[in-house]
Amino acid sequence: MLQELRLAFRLLAKSPAFVLIAVATLALAIGANTAVFSLVNALLIRPLPYADPQRLVLIWEEFTAQGLERIPVSPPEFLDYQKQTKSYRHLAAFTYRDLNLTGGDVPERIQGASVSAAVWPLLGVKPIRGRVFDQTEEGEGRNNVIVISERLWQRRFNSDSTLVGKTVSLNGSGHTVVGIMPKTFEFPLPLFNVQGGQFAERVDIWVPVGFTENEMKSRGSRDYGIIGRLAPGVTAQQAQAELKQLIPRWKEQYPDNYGKDENFGAQVYPLQEQVVGKMRPALWILFGAVSLVLLIACANLTTMLLARASSREREMAIRIALGAGPMRLIRQLLLESIVLSIIGGVAGIVLAIWGLDILRAVTARTVPRIAEVNLDLTVLGWTFLVAVGTGVVFGFFPALASSNPQLTEALKEGGRGSTEGARRNTLRNGLVIGEIAIALALLVGASLLVRSFIQIQNVDPGFNPRQVLAMELSLPVLKYPRGKPVVDFFAEVQRRVAVLPGVRTAAITSILPLSGTNSDSSFAIEGQTESAVMSGVFPDEEQRQVSPEYFKALEIPLLKGRYFTEGDGFDAPRVMIVNQALAKKYWPNGDAVGKRVTFDDPRKTPKWTTIVGIVGDVRHRGMDEPARPEFYQPHAQVPYRSMILTVRSSQDPKSLVSMIRRELTALDPDLPIAHVRTLEQVVSDSIAPRRLSVLLLGAFAAIALILAAIGMYGVMSYLVAQRTHEIGVRMALGAQRSDVLKLILSRGARLVLAGTGIGLLFAFLSTRALGSLLYGVGTFDALTFGAVTVVLAAIALLASYIPALRATQSDPMIALSHNA
Amino acid sequence: MIRLRNIERCYPLAKGRFFYVLRDVNIDIQEGEFVSIMGPSGAGKSSLLHILGMHDHGWTGEYYLNDIAVHHLKAKERATLRNEQVGFVFQQYHLLDDLTVYENLEIPLSYRKVARNERAAIVADTLDRFQIVAKRDLYPRQLSGGQQQLVGVARAIISSPKLILADEPTGNLHSSQGEEIMELFKKLNSEGTTIVQVTHSEKNASYGNRIIQLRDGWVV
Repeated sequence: MLQELRLAFRLLAKSPAFVLIAVATLALAIGANTAVFSLVNALLIRPLPYADPQRLVLIWEEFTAQGLERIPVSPPEFLDYQKQTKSYRHLAAFTYRDLNLTGGDVPERIQGASVSAAVWPLLGVKPIRGRVFDQTEEGEGRNNVIVISERLWQRRFNSDSTLVGKTVSLNGSGHTVVGIMPKTFEFPLPLFNVQGGQFAERVDIWVPVGFTENEMKSRGSRDYGIIGRLAPGVTAQQAQAELKQLIPRWKEQYPDNYGKDENFGAQVYPLQEQVVGKMRPALWILFGAVSLVLLIACANLTTMLLARASSREREMAIRIALGAGPMRLIRQLLLESIVLSIIGGVAGIVLAIWGLDILRAVTARTVPRIAEVNLDLTVLGWTFLVAVGTGVVFGFFPALASSNPQLTEALKEGGRGSTEGARRNTLRNGLVIGEIAIALALLVGASLLVRSFIQIQNVDPGFNPRQVLAMELSLPVLKYPRGKPVVDFFAEVQRRVAVLPGVRTAAITSILPLSGTNSDSSFAIEGQTESAVMSGVFPDEEQRQVSPEYFKALEIPLLKGRYFTEGDGFDAPRVMIVNQALAKKYWPNGDAVGKRVTFDDPRKTPKWTTIVGIVGDVRHRGMDEPARPEFYQPHAQVPYRSMILTVRSSQDPKSLVSMIRRELTALDPDLPIAHVRTLEQVVSDSIAPRRLSVLLLGAFAAIALILAAIGMYGVMSYLVAQRTHEIGVRMALGAQRSDVLKLILSRGARLVLAGTGIGLLFAFLSTRALGSLLYGVGTFDALTFGAVTVVLAAIALLASYIPALRATQSDPMIALSHNA
Repeated sequence: MIRLRNIERCYPLAKGRFFYVLRDVNIDIQEGEFVSIMGPSGAGKSSLLHILGMHDHGWTGEYYLNDIAVHHLKAKERATLRNEQVGFVFQQYHLLDDLTVYENLEIPLSYRKVARNERAAIVADTLDRFQIVAKRDLYPRQLSGGQQQLVGVARAIISSPKLILADEPTGNLHSSQGEEIMELFKKLNSEGTTIVQVTHSEKNASYGNRIIQLRDGWVV
């Protein structure tokens, strides 16, 4: 074996050009395969970084009549789940919190989370220093302890070894650091299946939950997620069945909250599915695409080895004549191809490392668990298997062909086994046809995605994202209790920023379009309250709190009525603006302006809010999703403490950051600014997962096209070399250069025709899988299919034109001097 | 018919030197002649034949074919002239493996843009004339060497060339097959076709009416 291995290396070293092309082909294909498999491994195969993660589930509620799915729960509901279910060993509540960390040189907004103490035993992750908090530290007034991340400890506290036990200032009050969690710990994970729950920022501070008195009073104020660890022996289905029994009891007990029909429910979801479920189809499509690229590479390598086999026919015949059995020859030849593919695999790993670096940089904020994507032993093992498998696949037929040469023909100087040659040509042609077909299907898929992407980029989001800067401000409750001080602070911020040079408009909003966060509220419509109360189904739509200038800042058009004014203040009559979708949904006759709704219990003495205007629809959940009904309330009447400052500029909006920061520091030196970004960036981030699919599938399709073109070139070059004598004879018999060109090109054209024909059929069947990823373009888009076919055919013909041109320049004198 | 003046053919060697395969060749061949070019290996016989057949363009000197100054013609014009006036017979037959006897004979006609019906008639005549009708659908590998060369000669004359150039036409045949081919050449020559053959065989040369001897590229 060792001797054969040595021989394999020696023979390969004799053909450096062949080895170079083969290794480059393999490196591209195996590298792409490794990169995508590392994504699949990290996101779909590798368990979540918690103890026994398959036992972890999430509980989400739903109001099916209002189209509300996977919504969070309220604190009273959470406590009821805790008390009234037996399916869980632990049940913990969690929610995101914006935390202002002060006390250092610069105040900083940190992404935090309020979590039940049960989350620690539930997840089974231990701190690297100190301890985690326990149940006695939960509850308002007692929850002034925090656990921080190793990242924050290193970055903000310079890895201070005495930090545990010290007090830091969070949101204006002291909190004791009790523990530090390892760098790898991440909770909550971004939940890609939950609308409005796409928090891409990693949490750095965990605070014990402290349900307030207000929160405990309202079953309808839903801000918390629930994670549970199933009790031993209990399945998710059993847990679901238990909820099915529990919910009717709640409906009887709290008819005002849930109504009596089937509208309200709760569902159990496996955590892993929630974290990466939405990525699954795209990942499998990519995995399918790289597998096809690998197939094309195999086909290329097979044709190259078949050509090489022809030139080694005499060598093989001599070996057989000297006593080598066919198995021995096959083993030797397979060893050569496996050595080749392992070298290609190593080069592929290098390419994959570079590729993943780029991928991580591009998708850092938009793909869940992307930081965990790496080349671990599983991936390397996979790559090794792929490399060896590839070597066997592309080496098998050439080895089989070489091990059985036409002995007498091959031993004659210049002899040719014409039957064997014809068989190899058929195989070679079949491989090129297959390559063209696969490349066409991949190109069609990638082109459909690119067209969708272009369509999405051309979608009017309903606002103008150009030259708008956004930054988040979160006022601490101690310093700015709810109400007038909050309104006054933000009014002053807008007043100061609006007069800065380069600023055209300054406004605030509670939710930025396409940012991934969301908020909704139910309400009752005047005149329809009775039926709503009877059925228990109240309208529930998306809500935003904005300042009067917001619509101008984002250039959202007024369609009817009026915008908010300074007169719509804290003490003024309640007003709201609705978007066109909401107006059409509830007042299809177009008379929404002047109508009144209430956010209070309509059976008591509700405060009514009057609709004063209708504005254009704004896409919020995604550029590819139609605008949902939305309503806007004046911030002055519903004063939230966490707001987003939006500034329309007459210049590059980023140039305003330092000036705005100065103004804000002058107003409150302890107030950090977070998430400074342009609105164009927000829009761009919102389509990032789609961009990832486009980029990767586009790259794989390009590789497929290049490999198919190389394959076509190789086969046609071989054909020309094989037919040098024939071409010489034809020229000697009077063939003009154009005749020779026609002869070779017609052979190429036949292959291209067969390849594109099969490819179109394959594309028709395979693009259906892309359906969920497409936007504004059908899976059988004739323009895309036609254009891709023409381009691919042109490239493939060009690839055969070069050898054909070379054939026309062959010298009949030299060709005829070859021994036939 | 053929007038060669000061024909020279050389190949560049390293350090700016040249290797001459033909030196100052001056030959006249009249229409209807049967000329044999002889000489030892490397004398330049085949090179001269390829110049006459206008396969080679890298020579200097003057070449007149039926008073047409070949040396002034462009490559495409030479190809046209060759198609009109020259037929080739090769030592290795050079039949196209994947074509039948019929198709091999048809090829030169198709390159001369002869219409399909006319082609069929000419090929049928030729098959008849060479008595190979029964072989029309066989592939070259299914024929003996002599039969293959017979098809080679038939292919060379199918477009009625005025000149046949034959490069060792019997080199790969045993003596009786060789004699048949030479008899065929003699017959063609008697019918008016000019023949120039390269041969090592005195016997084959005796079928012709003149011998041109080459040695180291010179006519001797």
